[in-house]
Amino acid sequence: MLPIDAAAHSSRWRRRHPVDKAVLGLGLTVLAISLPPWPGAALVLVTALVVLLGPAGVPGRRLWRAYRVPLGFCVTGALPLLVQVGGPGGFLTLAESGPVRAGELLLRTSAASLGVLLFAFTTPMSDLLPRLVKAGVPAPVVDVALVTYRMSFLLLDSVRRIREAQAARLGHTTRAATWRSLAGLGAIAFVRAFDRAARLQTGLAGRGYDGTLRVLVPEARVSVRFVCAGLALLAAVAALTFVLERPLT
Amino acid sequence: MHIAEGFLPPAHAIAWGVASAPFVVHGVRSLTREVREHPESTLLLGASGAFTFVLSALKLPSVTGSCSHPTGTGLGAILFRPPIMAVLGTITLLFQALLLAHGGLTTLGANVFSMAIAGPWAGYGIYRLLRRYDVPLMVTVFFGAFVADLVTYCVTSVQLALAFPDPSSGFLGALGKFGSIFAVTQIPLAVSEGLLTVLVMRLLVQSSKGELTRLGVLLSGRRNRTETEAVAR
Repeated sequence: MLPIDAAAHSSRWRRRHPVDKAVLGLGLTVLAISLPPWPGAALVLVTALVVLLGPAGVPGRRLWRAYRVPLGFCVTGALPLLVQVGGPGGFLTLAESGPVRAGELLLRTSAASLGVLLFAFTTPMSDLLPRLVKAGVPAPVVDVALVTYRMSFLLLDSVRRIREAQAARLGHTTRAATWRSLAGLGAIAFVRAFDRAARLQTGLAGRGYDGTLRVLVPEARVSVRFVCAGLALLAAVAALTFVLERPLT
Repeated sequence: MHIAEGFLPPAHAIAWGVASAPFVVHGVRSLTREVREHPESTLLLGASGAFTFVLSALKLPSVTGSCSHPTGTGLGAILFRPPIMAVLGTITLLFQALLLAHGGLTTLGANVFSMAIAGPWAGYGIYRLLRRYDVPLMVTVFFGAFVADLVTYCVTSVQLALAFPDPSSGFLGALGKFGSIFAVTQIPLAVSEGLLTVLVMRLLVQSSKGELTRLGVLLSGRRNRTETEAVAR
């Protein structure tokens, strides 16, 4: 299992309905991209961090390990905003408004990422996917997504073990050997995926498979109180942004 | 080449979502029809999605000394066709956003457009074009994967340049900036992905001829035998 999903399965909010968490987590993400970056995104960032480390009970180390990935992408993506092409100073010069634009972008992306992480760290995929049918996603697509999700872990585990075996046989000692090993890894993943699907098909056919995958979904109800509290928090963040915006700018 | 969460302004995020929607809806309809006619396809398509997800987790050695990962869009489009790839790509990108924190939900439309639509369609177009002129299978596979990767990178650069035009030279200047920064890693990566895809396809032709024929990648009959023999040689 991947670290974020494993954390979601043992989350304090695991038994809550995904809608409860979506309102809060994805609501914070929407606020992060729609409010002015300063102070809006900064407030969203602080709020998301407090909720993640406080009520949601996500361990700080786990959060940092997941958070540093998008943070790296954000920093790389913000670098081009520091320079401008053409103009009186030369072909490539430092942009006057570059640091402000890059800073605003960094604030916005880092706050928005935390909103999504709040949802991801508290909602296992296995709780979310079956409920997408009620949200209007066609059942066959949800079934394919469910099989993809469950088979991904098995395949990732196979790939890890094959890679270890290749390394033990000096499969990564030279560049040529590395390429051969990689190609073998990709091909074996394909063969294993299709072999597993064929065996799964045989097993399901023996159990009267009619094209619908029935899975048990943990019982959960949308909590009106939780949703209202989430909406109130979002409204408070938005209101505080507009109050603070004028004196700060 | 994922655009990170919150990177695009709301109007751009919505616009790319709207642009991706017809392709994804078309793919969903193809997939739904396929599953209704052949219920066992659910498992094969799920396996294909898992394969695409795992393929994007393989680490490729890069010329800069670091590691990167293939997009898998070229191989996916050749094996499963672009409409199905639009759906599988969307599912994979959703998983990457929620399970790996790569990409994002507000940028899902933009990422789907570059990685699950533009890349696969361009790669598949080149693959089909070269196949029509009887270019050897492995050459067409290389160019299919190479073009798919390169188009994905170009479309992402356009998306970023539209969102963040250069203060002095506007869209074109920004396109140059984003394009040249990504080119350092993406052009060698596109070549690497092309080569890796050829190596994977060579092994698949030898080990999974049945599946490849069922997917329509290999033709049945004399032409297939000739191709298989050529690959084996």
